[in-house]
This record gives sequence, structure tokens and C-alpha cells, in this order.
Amino acid sequence: LSLEEASRMVDPTAVVTSVKAAHKFFSEDKDRAFEAKMMDESTRLLSTQQQLEKDSDGKVNFFGLSVSETIRTCILNGMAKKADRVKAEFKVPDKRFWHLKLHALTAMRDFEALDAF
Amino acid sequence: GLGRESEPSLDVELLKEIGKKALIDALNSVNGAKTLVLDPTLAGPLGLVTEVALLKHHGVDKMFWLEPGPLSSTTSNIVYLCRPLIKYVKILADQIKRHAKESLKHRYTLFLVPRTSTLVTRILEEEGVLGDVTISSYNLQFIPIAEDVVSLESDNAFKEIWVDGDETVIYNSALALDTLQKLYGPFPRIVGKGDHASRLATLLTKPLPEQALSTTNIPPPAAPFDSLIILDRQVDMITPLLTQLTYEGLIDELIGLRNSQVELPLSLLTPPAAPNPANPAALPSTSAAAVIPVNNEKMKKHHLTAATDPLFAELRDLNFSSVGKSLNKVAHRLDEDYKARFQAKTPAQLRDFVGKLGGLQTEHQALRLHTGLSEMLVPVTRTDVFNKSLEIQQNLLASYEVSNQISAIEDLIAQGADMQVVVRLLCLASITAGGIKAKSLESAKRELLQAYGYNYLPLLLSLSAPPLSILLPNPLPVSTVPSVAASKYPFTTLRKSLRLLIDDNPEALDEVENDISFVYSGYAPISIRLIQCVAQKNGVISNPAEKNVTDDGDAKGKGSAKKLYAHPILGWKGFEDVLAAIPGKTFDIVQKVPGGDTAPSVTSLLRPHEQTTTTIVFFLGGCTYTEIAALRWVSRQNRGRKFLIATTGIVSGGSLIQSIAGVSK
Repeated sequence: LSLEEASRMVDPTAVVTSVKAAHKFFSEDKDRAFEAKMMDESTRLLSTQQQLEKDSDGKVNFFGLSVSETIRTCILNGMAKKADRVKAEFKVPDKRFWHLKLHALTAMRDFEALDAF
Repeated sequence: GLGRESEPSLDVELLKEIGKKALIDALNSVNGAKTLVLDPTLAGPLGLVTEVALLKHHGVDKMFWLEPGPLSSTTSNIVYLCRPLIKYVKILADQIKRHAKESLKHRYTLFLVPRTSTLVTRILEEEGVLGDVTISSYNLQFIPIAEDVVSLESDNAFKEIWVDGDETVIYNSALALDTLQKLYGPFPRIVGKGDHASRLATLLTKPLPEQALSTTNIPPPAAPFDSLIILDRQVDMITPLLTQLTYEGLIDELIGLRNSQVELPLSLLTPPAAPNPANPAALPSTSAAAVIPVNNEKMKKHHLTAATDPLFAELRDLNFSSVGKSLNKVAHRLDEDYKARFQAKTPAQLRDFVGKLGGLQTEHQALRLHTGLSEMLVPVTRTDVFNKSLEIQQNLLASYEVSNQISAIEDLIAQGADMQVVVRLLCLASITAGGIKAKSLESAKRELLQAYGYNYLPLLLSLSAPPLSILLPNPLPVSTVPSVAASKYPFTTLRKSLRLLIDDNPEALDEVENDISFVYSGYAPISIRLIQCVAQKNGVISNPAEKNVTDDGDAKGKGSAKKLYAHPILGWKGFEDVLAAIPGKTFDIVQKVPGGDTAPSVTSLLRPHEQTTTTIVFFLGGCTYTEIAALRWVSRQNRGRKFLIATTGIVSGGSLIQSIAGVSK
């Protein structure tokens, strides 16, 4: 499976290629629509993460994190707007998003933002 | 105390000696000082049979882990000890080639555990180093991990069989069980359930290759086998998915036990610098402060074993809810014992007390350890996620508002619960309800991948693919292979026929304490119920503890004096329908005992009731500490039968999911 291959790779472009290959593989089988969709999301997430890393001038590592971790990292690094964008793009349910935000803000002891909740 | 009956049981320490001797023989077969290169996954199991000092004594100069990269050795002999895995052989070949390039001369010996494989020779040949290596095997089989438990300590057995389709471990199990037959006597009858278990049984009935046994005189077994029961893990996937609630099980779930070892803060393991026996009662409470796990505190491995720690023997199988009470009792008793010092008036009495002091201090340290351990567990058992997941488990077992449970599982994902906790609950929902509604399953899977990473997609695929098929939509898509549809687990039927759930109301509380379901606070593991079907038939229908009291007149052919004795093994008799409902082959093989042409089933019937027999229970694919606890309980209910639990390894739901996900803890 090219997906398992992807998890072992370090080079970002190689990871993207493998995940794309996995996507293609799944889309050929109509019973694997869910898996294909997930792989598509995964590719989009990886490119979003590459963009986020650029935006933060390469100071913050995003690549390879999960959607939840990406949102958390955004908030922890004061990129609240970006976090909202990731939420919208990946249709993260409110419940999970608020949990993430709450925990991240508490971890930062950002009580102002917590009050504004 | 639990009052273990003092009936004779098999001496499993013999197996440890065999393992130790075979290792020494292997090492001694290479002359002179040697460098030992060890497969990291073998370190734990080896630690159970030997110690480093012994290795040094037999010429081991230095030890290294078998890891990629160069190897520098000062001795001319290099000994590799590893499992026959392709990745290890590649590392080894690489190291040999490096040495050749640097024109270093070494003699290489490779010991494969537990036996050699042609695959390994082929890879070495491809790599062009076959001529440089002497290949042999170190036949490490069952390792005793408790007085009634032996294990192959093969961590990935479950994944290998049910995900990778690799049946090597079945063959290795057959060899190991055959060794038991040679040591302690034959299994007159083999009863079991499950397709892979059946394959194992078939292997056992065929002649296996002669194995060299490195023992000379074997004592006649005190309690010969009356049968072997083989269950494969797939027969009961529900039990490992649940959170174990016994003391030892909970330690495994929350802290992690590997090869009977647990990693603990150093402060918990070393006695306080100045033990103050004058004020012992204060200790349990003061130790609480030291116990809070500080992240940077040094961790040390501790071997949890009842052999040196009688307090642990007392606690390990208790439901965690009653561990506190027991600890308290022991603390009070110790306090009384220490106070005895003040009553000592004559020098003789004083000397007597000083004599006992050493023992008291050992006990004291044990108490401190287990109080500390419990205090590490308690905060976790009070967390929201822990209790929520228990609640979901209980509801699913009762098939109560299944769709609500699925959304509760999604809530747990949102709260950031452990990946394995969530996956266990989803699988449990799928098995108990016969599949999850396609739409909710998809949304749960999507949540899971978003929260924990898309790299878990292969895990989800493995769980839903045959032969495992424990995460399925309902109804199944039309394209599903028929074997998946056929393997649907009849949970609701079993719940009734095997009396799996005991009501959790106050009146039923006594009942729970009188049944194996105490281990999961009201749920009886299916695996152990099945064993009761074979070995303790009335225990399935009602609580045996009560039965013994009330059913005096009901002696059915047996004399009432023998009532307490275990009935002979009669296979699945009386439970054929139940067994037929569970997917997987059912089998009952009566083996011919060499030298006698009477059918062994008859001899076992005629066997005097006074003689204790041993029934081996082999779990193919691993068993949990909770199942061990439940089986010990069954063992205590009847006189005349001991259980020897044999397994490919100790598992928990967490370790199973992690091994399938391919992440090592």
C-alpha cells in the first residue's frame, strides 16, 4: 500500500506523491469512495500545511499533523484566523473545534481570549 | 487472602530452566569471548529466563541492540540473537558487508528464535553473505510468567495471524504445546473453537519434527493433563475491547505491562532512606506525595511477580474497586505487627520481634509500592474520558440506545481521548450491534482520521477487512464477500445463552461477586464462559458458588461426597447449539495415548476423583490479564482440576489496536 509507504517518508514532496497515488488507487474501486475522499482530504491538508509553514516563515512545523493538531498549533501560535479557515475547509464540527480551542487557550493561559469565548 | 488450594500443580519453573539451559548451550557452542547482538523485542522475554550476569559468565563481553548502522566489536566472535524477520536479517547482512569492506575479520553466528527459517537463508544468500554466517536456532518456547501462566511472549501474534495472514506462530505454538506433552504427559483430549485453533489442533495430532529437549530427568507430573482447550482470539473479540477492571489488568491498561514489567518512578521502588518503623502508619499517606508522576523523574522497570511479592498475588485479580479496602487491611495488620514490639518485655520476646522485622520491612515496602501504584491509577479512573468510555461499553453490551453511543464516541474524539480508546469502542459497537449504520460509521471514521491523522486509514481498512471484520457498516454493502456476512457475531443470542450480563443493581451485587463477571463489574468474558462450558458446566447456567450450597440433593449419578470435585471433561456436550452459533470451527478430538488402546475419555472417566488433573487452556492470539483472573476464579470453584493458562502473549485492547496500526508504544 502506497499509504504505508507515505507514512515512512520524510521528504514532503514524496509524501504528497504517495498519498496521491493512494487516492488514485482508491478511486478506481467504486466501493472505496470513502477512502478516496479521505485521501483527497489528506492531500489538501498537506498542501494547506505547507502554506501555513510558509506563512509562519518556517518557524512552526505543520507538515504531517492531523487536522485537529493543525488547528491546535494554529491557535497556540496566535494564528486564530487560520484556525478558523482550516475548520471551514475541512468541515470540522463545532464541538471538536471548541474543545480544541478551549484546551489550546487554557494551555497558553490566554485568559482574555477565554473570556471572549 | 484468596486461600489458594494447596493441591499439587505442574511445576512450570521447569520451562524456565529449559529456556535458560538452551540459551547457555547456544552461547557455549561458540568458543571464546563474544559480542552479543540482541533483537530488542527479545530483551523482555529473555529477562524472564535469565539475567545479564549469567550471560557475562558464559563469555558475553559486550551487548548491543540489533539496529541499523555500523557495528564495532572487539571480539572476533559476534553472536546475533533475533526473531527470523526480514528487517533483522537485512541489518545483519549490512553489518557483515561493512566489516568485509573494512577488512575486519569476525566469526558470525546467528541464533534464530525460536527456529530457523528458509526465508532467512534465502535472504542471506541473496545478500551474498550466507557463507560467512553459522545459522542455528535458540528454541525459546513457553516462558512461565506466573505459577499458572505460560506465554510465548510473542507480541504480534494476533496481527500476524488475522491481519497479515502469517501462520508461522500457529506452527510455533504447536511445537511449544508438543514440548509440554513431552514434559508433562499427553493431552488425552483436545477441545476447541475457531478456524485457526482448529488448524493448530490438527497440527498437534500429526507427528511433529523431533525436538531436542535439553533436560535429563523429568519428574513425573503431579497433576497430569486431562485435556487441552484451544480458543482462538477471534472467537471472542469483545472481551479484549473492554477496559479491564482488575488490578493487574488496569495496570496493563493505564500504565502498561510488557513481559510482566512495568515502568515506575524510581522513588516508588526504592525504600525511603531512613525507614522509621516506629511510625509505620503514617507511611501510606506520606508516600502519596512522592507518587504523583513527575515527568522528569527517572523511570525504572519493575518486574511484577507474585513469586516474590505475596501482596501482589493477593491483589492482582481483584476488581480495582476493592483493592483500596485490601490495602487498608494490610496496612492495619502491619501496624499491629509493628506495635507488637511494645508488648515485648523479655529479651526472648524482643529477639523474636527483631527476627520478624526483616519480613515486616519487606512487606512494608510491598505495601508502599502497591499503595503508590493504586494512587497512580485512581486519578485516571476518575477522568471524564475513562468513565464515559466505561459507560458506553456497558450500554453497548446491553444494546442500549446504540446510535446514542456512537455520538457519545464522537464526543470522546472531540475531547481528545486516546486513539485506541475510540477505535476499541467503535469495534465493540460494530460487533455487539452487528454493524454500525453506514452513515454514522462514515462520519465517525472521518472524525477519527481528522483528529488523529490520515495515516490511520490502513488501520481502519484492516479492521473492516476479512478475516477480522470487526468494524462494519450495517446493512453490509451488496458487494461484500459472503464470508464476511457469514461471520457475523451472534452477540445478543450469546448474551442470553451464556448469561454474559449480570444486573448491576444492589440485589445482584452478591451475585456478581459469585461469578466470573466480577472482573468486568458485571460482564462475563465469553472466552471464559466457553471454557466453563467444557470444564464447569453448571457455572454457565448459574453461579457455582450458590449451586454448591443449594443443590445438595441434586447429585446426578455422582456421589454427594464427590459433588465438589470437577466433572470430567466431556467436550462441548450440552452447549452444541451455542457453539454452532459462533463463527469458526468447533472441534473435539480424542487422542490415542501411546501404550494403551482404551479410549482416553473412558480412562479419564474412571480416573479416581481424588487425583488432581490439569486442564490446559491455550489462547491463540493472546489473552488478557482479566481472563486469567476469571479463570483462576473458576479454578478455585472446583476441587480436582487446575488450569494451566498458555497463550501466545498477554494482550489488551490497546495493544491489539496498536499492533494492527503498526505503531509501537
